[in-house]
Amino acid sequence: MAYVRRDVSTLTANERRRFVNALLALKRRGEYDEFVRMHIDFYTSDGENGLRSAHMTPSFLPWHRRFLLELERALRRIDSSVTVPYWDWTRDRTKTSVPWTKDLLGGNGRRADRQVTTGPFAYASGHWTLKEGVTDGKFLTRDLGRAAAPIQLPTRSDLKWALDDPVYDVWPWNSTVTKGFRNKLEGWGPGSGSTSWRNHNRVHRWVGGAMLGGASVNDPVFWLHHAFVDLQWYRWQRAHRNHRYLPAQPPGAGDAQHRRVVARHEKLPPWDETPDQLEDMSRTYRYG
Amino acid sequence: MVVGVGGVPVGAEQQKGAGAARPSRREVARGLLASAAAVSLAPVVAASRPAPPVEAADGSSFDETYRGRRIQGVLVADAARQAADAAWRITIDGRPLHLMRRADGSWLSMIDHYTSYPTPLAATRAAVDGLGPGQRLRDLAPGPMGGEHPAHRTEGHDGVRA
Repeated sequence: MAYVRRDVSTLTANERRRFVNALLALKRRGEYDEFVRMHIDFYTSDGENGLRSAHMTPSFLPWHRRFLLELERALRRIDSSVTVPYWDWTRDRTKTSVPWTKDLLGGNGRRADRQVTTGPFAYASGHWTLKEGVTDGKFLTRDLGRAAAPIQLPTRSDLKWALDDPVYDVWPWNSTVTKGFRNKLEGWGPGSGSTSWRNHNRVHRWVGGAMLGGASVNDPVFWLHHAFVDLQWYRWQRAHRNHRYLPAQPPGAGDAQHRRVVARHEKLPPWDETPDQLEDMSRTYRYG
Repeated sequence: MVVGVGGVPVGAEQQKGAGAARPSRREVARGLLASAAAVSLAPVVAASRPAPPVEAADGSSFDETYRGRRIQGVLVADAARQAADAAWRITIDGRPLHLMRRADGSWLSMIDHYTSYPTPLAATRAAVDGLGPGQRLRDLAPGPMGGEHPAHRTEGHDGVRA
């Protein structure tokens, strides 16, 4: 029987508490930090050699889908009622709306050092000391909306622009492609500056602090954000039923992308599943 | 600053580099550490006075104080490397910052991972912006420089080939 992932704004007080407590339990056991580590380790950029399984690549979506499932399984071992909620950032767009409340993820970082000081993940609460990361900071940081040069979260029409593209992804399957649903959702634009980050990437930047870096998993909003990104993949599939994950076949030996991307029936490191096996999740979960 | 190191078009770099032997990240990490030690000697001497911005005319190095942080970078000339692998040794307050290359030739760091910048200097300044006040880079930034799961990567390649 499939379980339901819900909009975080619809969770009851009890459901919020159980979700938070399951996260804190994972952290206490040291399991949570393994997720942070894994996300750091699997970031291979497309200007470097090597297989890209998680970012700047067609398997951005199935990799993060599988990553979320792993976290969700761990949470459900602790409390079987828990599922990963999603944050619809096209609706909950302010620095004080959900999930930035004291009973969920806590609020913005304070001005002096961006330290999150409210909610269950505040350093002073004693339950959320950062262990894995690219800085020596022990506390969770956020800079919601980027105070120094404010930006807005992506809009419904930004998402529609991605969802309307009927093709999953196009050659050369990396961050430079300007067509295809995957990169329009992942959000690598040309150049730098405000117009170059879209959808998924823009949300990481809007949250700022830990979410801006390779150790973004340190902020539990990572999972709520990626659940919403995952929901977009499901919506895209429903809107374009004749289209599937691409590439269907591995790029050949003469292709610059040879052995650098995961094709539909290849295993998606570090797991044994393929993108093909991760396209249909209807027997495991659905979105409410 | 010249972005395309060696003047080779990025696409060509990729093709050339695709099957080439490349130092492991662990080896790169050792190199970075060694260079960081060398580079950090200078700031010890100069720490008490602000560093005037110095940027090599050919864009192969920089050394400046940005928002109170000493940032230094030098392009590592290594004939054995592929052009695409042209490496920058970069430090913020003496601690190594690993930069990644995007396929369009731009650069991103572990601190600011969802945006890229036209030059290593711009990416380093952005990393300073992303570092919270009072925070420093980890002494040995673990992920990109030494904490890679070698088993995962090996399995990955085998899995793809199979």
